[in-house]
Amino acid sequence: MSVAEQSRAGVAGPLIPVDIGHDRYTALTDPNTAFWALVDKKRVGESEAHGSLLASFHENAAAFAREMHALRFELTPSGVYLNPTERCNLNCTYCYLPGQQRSEGRHMPVDTLLVSLEKLRTYFRSVMPEGRKPRAIFHGAEPLMNKAAVFEAIRAFGDHFAFGIQTNGTLLDEEAMSFLTSRNVSIGLSLDGPMPSITDATRLTWGGKSVHDKVLTAMDKLRGYGSWSVITTCTTENLPHLTRMVELFHAREVPTCMLNTLRCTLPGARGVKPADADMAQSFFGALDRSHALFKETGRKLVVANFANILIAILAPTARRLMCDISPCGGGRAFFALAADGSLYPCSEFIGVPHFNGGNLFDAGGVEAALASEAFRTVTERDVDTFQPCSDCAIRHFCGSPCPAEAHEMNGGMQQIGAFCEFYKEQVNYALRLIADGKADDYLWDGWDAGTETTFQVQ
Amino acid sequence: MSNAIQTPANAQPAKKESSPIIAVRKSCNPDGIGLSHYVLMDRKAAK
Repeated sequence: MSVAEQSRAGVAGPLIPVDIGHDRYTALTDPNTAFWALVDKKRVGESEAHGSLLASFHENAAAFAREMHALRFELTPSGVYLNPTERCNLNCTYCYLPGQQRSEGRHMPVDTLLVSLEKLRTYFRSVMPEGRKPRAIFHGAEPLMNKAAVFEAIRAFGDHFAFGIQTNGTLLDEEAMSFLTSRNVSIGLSLDGPMPSITDATRLTWGGKSVHDKVLTAMDKLRGYGSWSVITTCTTENLPHLTRMVELFHAREVPTCMLNTLRCTLPGARGVKPADADMAQSFFGALDRSHALFKETGRKLVVANFANILIAILAPTARRLMCDISPCGGGRAFFALAADGSLYPCSEFIGVPHFNGGNLFDAGGVEAALASEAFRTVTERDVDTFQPCSDCAIRHFCGSPCPAEAHEMNGGMQQIGAFCEFYKEQVNYALRLIADGKADDYLWDGWDAGTETTFQVQ
Repeated sequence: MSNAIQTPANAQPAKKESSPIIAVRKSCNPDGIGLSHYVLMDRKAAK
């Protein structure tokens, strides 16, 4: 019976060997339940023969299967991406939003944004436990192009949402910084290079001016603040410099960064797409450097997108990001509100009209969008149901992101995302760290608070 | 001379024989706090 046939039949095991490139250990996985074990290569046959590992796994397989099903199919939304404007003051090579929108698009009027948040508050109250705040992330385009509306919304709804903002950092003046930090708004910046020439290769103003130094200034102002991060989008232009990127972030006391593969949803991004092997080599070099800096200084720089892969392996339900899971979080754990009131499964889809699930101000509101064909196209993308993912031993550590790329770049939802081989290597790297007892060095201190150990052989 | 700060996190642990099998799984309530790849927010912020 193939892995795909086992999936459809809901059968647990036999465990599938995965060569993770470690001197001593090989991995055995059950893809259906995201179960894994690292076994001394010399004793793989012996372990299987004795059956102790397999027997222990089978005792727990049904519980693991239930856990994965709940994670993959039973969540309700608890977050929203708010796009308060279509405009951006930058013209980045790889943006997922069409250029005409970003240069000539509309702002959402402040009154519309306030009414939107009222509607969203009502919706989240209907699906979230009492006492929990939904997350609302201002996102773009550049949300601070419509600063007055954003700040008014945070003033009015600060008690009802946990707010965050992803910004290019160029409009974060003293007043904006003070406003946001005094309200504990989570702030995400973007920087693509350790020096202006590298950042400038993909991130410039419409007039061609560098913004590198402005972002560094914003980073300096945020030093010591509790809730901020920086995203680097990895492209052919900055890949050779990722190690220096990590050094810059560590030196400036960035608590968390993300070294994201660029999303290839729109054609403009594909011109700077790194090859998977190049991405892996540079990414692992940057991770190795972050670890060396931790050992030298005792201070961590968590690379969050990798940390999430580690957590997906160690504690599937504790993951913090919902791209590397199938179905992804788009349209089920969160959704996006565009500046014209349209609802999309994720901001990544805003440039693709086919994925417009309706308008927040339509009669059905959020519920109608969640049930729309546009949303279901995304929420029903399941790696158990199409090849090669359905035969992949690590498919629930990866999730084959991103559906927007699969649809736009690779021809449909039944296709892989843009960086399949990189994800396989990333999982192998993570398993090697676990084998070497180093995983905690790459994770937030206390990352497993609130979890319980449900399986342990060590 | 190294300026490294010895903390519990980076102090060298006593060497011990590693197990022939390593398998760990932790679990918690999947409360749907996860977002996309864009913005990382502290898990505590949603509580």
